[in-house]
Amino acid sequence: MANTKLLMTFPVTETSHTLAEYRARGGYGALEKALRQMTPQEVVAEVTASGIQGRGGAAFPMGRKWAVVHPNDGQSHYLCANADEGEPGTFKDRWILEYAPHLLLESMLIASYALQVRNAFIYIRGEFDLPYRRLAAALEEAYAAGYFGERILGTDFACDLVIYRGAGSYVCGEASALITSIEGKRGYPRNRPPRLTVRGLYQKPTVINNVETLSNVAWIITNGGEAFKQVGTAKDPGTRLISISGHIERPGVYEIEIGYPFAKFIDEDCGGILGGRALKGIIPGGISTKVLTGKEIEPLTLDNQSLAAAGSSMGSGGMIVIAEGTCMVRLLQVLLRFYHHESCGQCTPCREGMGWLHRIIDRIVVGEGRAGDIERMYQISAWNDGTTICGMGDAAGYATSGILNKFRDEFEYFIEHKRSRCNGTLECPKSS
Amino acid sequence: MPEIFINGHSIQAERGQSVLQAALAHGFYIPYFCWHPKLSVAGNCRICCVQVEGRSWVEIACNMPVAEGLRVLTDSDTVKAYRKSIMQLMTLNHPVDCGICDKAGECKLQDYHYKYNGAPSISRDAKVRSTKFHALSERIVLDNERCILCSRCVRFTSEISKSNALGIIQRGDASLVRAAEDRPLDADPYSDNIIDLCPVGALLSRPFLYKARVWYLKPTPSVCPGCARGCTVQIWHRKQEWKLNALDPRQNVSIERVTPLENPHVNGPWICNKGRDLAQIFERPRATQAMQKGKPVDLPSAIESARHLIESAGHPVALVSSWGSNEELGALKHALPGRFAAFTKHDWTPQPGERLDDDLLIRADKNPNTATACALFPRQDDGASAIAEDTDLVLVWGEGFDFVRIPVGAKIIFLNAYLQPENGHADVFIPISIQTERRGHYTNFQGVVSAFAPCFPKKASVADAETLFAAIAATESARA
Repeated sequence: MANTKLLMTFPVTETSHTLAEYRARGGYGALEKALRQMTPQEVVAEVTASGIQGRGGAAFPMGRKWAVVHPNDGQSHYLCANADEGEPGTFKDRWILEYAPHLLLESMLIASYALQVRNAFIYIRGEFDLPYRRLAAALEEAYAAGYFGERILGTDFACDLVIYRGAGSYVCGEASALITSIEGKRGYPRNRPPRLTVRGLYQKPTVINNVETLSNVAWIITNGGEAFKQVGTAKDPGTRLISISGHIERPGVYEIEIGYPFAKFIDEDCGGILGGRALKGIIPGGISTKVLTGKEIEPLTLDNQSLAAAGSSMGSGGMIVIAEGTCMVRLLQVLLRFYHHESCGQCTPCREGMGWLHRIIDRIVVGEGRAGDIERMYQISAWNDGTTICGMGDAAGYATSGILNKFRDEFEYFIEHKRSRCNGTLECPKSS
Repeated sequence: MPEIFINGHSIQAERGQSVLQAALAHGFYIPYFCWHPKLSVAGNCRICCVQVEGRSWVEIACNMPVAEGLRVLTDSDTVKAYRKSIMQLMTLNHPVDCGICDKAGECKLQDYHYKYNGAPSISRDAKVRSTKFHALSERIVLDNERCILCSRCVRFTSEISKSNALGIIQRGDASLVRAAEDRPLDADPYSDNIIDLCPVGALLSRPFLYKARVWYLKPTPSVCPGCARGCTVQIWHRKQEWKLNALDPRQNVSIERVTPLENPHVNGPWICNKGRDLAQIFERPRATQAMQKGKPVDLPSAIESARHLIESAGHPVALVSSWGSNEELGALKHALPGRFAAFTKHDWTPQPGERLDDDLLIRADKNPNTATACALFPRQDDGASAIAEDTDLVLVWGEGFDFVRIPVGAKIIFLNAYLQPENGHADVFIPISIQTERRGHYTNFQGVVSAFAPCFPKKASVADAETLFAAIAATESARA
């Protein structure tokens, strides 16, 4: 496979994120093209034709989300980029925010033009310091160059953008909690219906897309939806940014063409497992996707269809590699501590269930596990499946049941012998 | 009018309704904690789940709009199993201390536990500990361990009373309902409604704390006399069969608490805090002894003296109570001889610090029946003296009139229920009954008539104004 790249197309240097260098690479050409040669409807049609799916985790087709908004229905519309990248193991949007902030800004301008959005927002997580400074500096440059404000590029199109910094809550990465947070309220997710594209930010139709998804828009407009469709697989076109961490030789952010062989990506691109160990498992797309064992990934390719067939998904593209010798009980403890800490506490199954799961796994780890604990964890996961306001309850349930399904014997061993079958740590020292 | 099907039965729902509203309106019960007809939909308790026919999962009914042909099941096996799981989660960290909880007996969590779960907790892990007896305001204590975070109280203060006094802090199972730092809940005159709204025993009334088990109490429908709104209330007092023999017998005839009596025409489901504190009005020291010039006499001779004074008066004036019931005011109008000049007076005026009026319930007129009184008798003109100089008899009914305004030499007949210094200054003083001892009606400022019923027996030495007027105003010839 050719492994085409659409986003990481330039060498990263000290100044590659600036407006000058972005323009030297042809930046803001897509905006010129959209504003001067295309109607908003044509932009939407082009994006729909590209078949691009959301990169935030749910893989919802971007064109279908945009199609719900009617630009000329007489109300205000809002566009919001979700840069609250909080899924553990995921740091791919950070690459765009740090090294290609103008790519996001240009794409958001095009999207705002397509949807006739006057005010756009970027919700960036509070912990992102350098990305925020880069993004804020880029926005200032863009305003100074006349890409934002009134009469952009001499046309009638006007758009303003506000960067809103979150305060570090995981749930605020959920679209409805995110807009509630922008409104200045407690970041609770909202019940659907109504969908956010019907009634979202300030009760107006709102489109919320992931940073990576939006950043593809500039390329799609420059090269056309059909050209985008040629990249990746037929059902899942384009490329994915994969952030890989854990027990891997070369962790970092990689751009792969969708459909790239999984094993090849791990062994060749990322240099294999840390210390040359065997692969125990991989969490493929952020901790809310189900874990895959080393054997399972052998025949897989990196696309949603392939991973879905294996019972998992590409999720947010945050891969966590787990080498042989890692204690999965401890691993689940870390995950459940996270979910317990981040549950917003709004609806009952997640508020009570996350704490309960965490108390059970804590008990197992200190050697006070009991018969029936594993069944209880399955049961609590099932109670959260599809029954909560947002997807967090489901996600925690998938993570729990995914690990329990594949490593149940380790949990049984831990409960019976009051110690880990592995060496009990999560670290994987490099073999000397 | 979309037609929907609940458990296979066709019902005509109204457009814009949720499935929960439509089901309740047609007699299909769906349990709910966080939903309330007057508050926005929060959808956080998840107990109102129903199943759409053909789907394998459950959805919440409070946020499901009705749609033509929608078919939902409220009691399928999936729904029952899910409700049971929600009840397990609800009681996971709930202390289940019903034995010492004031809410026991009228608690949704308790009722639903027996109705939808019934099984003991399947958890063997320690419960999450939290704050007990947190003083949310001067009037309300909060038990965070009992709280199920339904957010009804938070939504009430932001949507109905608009004090924005409450919010939720922290996250997950550590979430806590808390008042804002400058404690605006103390200034919210509707704060006690959150005690009724609380589906569990988390929010408790400090005056009512540990005073009685609710099943020993009986509610009597009544009307709040605190202002011209005339909110319908329930006065809770001890049931006769549960009367206390060993303790202070006054507890058997005292107001234990006051709650709203839902009334869509007047107050909806709310009342203000003044209505909760009716005991402060009705349980002031009572006058029970008829007097002449401060000397105790029996009731019949006081009535006889009053009748003589009225017969012999040349220019009598009557000052009519705006706290009288429609029946009493009618009786006075009927009995009063034509030579009387009668005026309606304001028995109560706003107290210092009391909210004067607002858009929700509270009215500036702090008397319950000014409407009927003014319809029968002209309002007292506060600017000029209503009492002419040649007045030789003044009949004062009720509180709130300064005797200094009565011309020197004029005789005074005073009808009052409470122990006050003026009682002894009157030529004839007759103690009268209060609202909790008789039956009657008030007409509020909108013209809505509400009824009140007696809670306690009236003492024999106290007169009922309705019969008293006929007795004192009757002339000799009329009686003969």
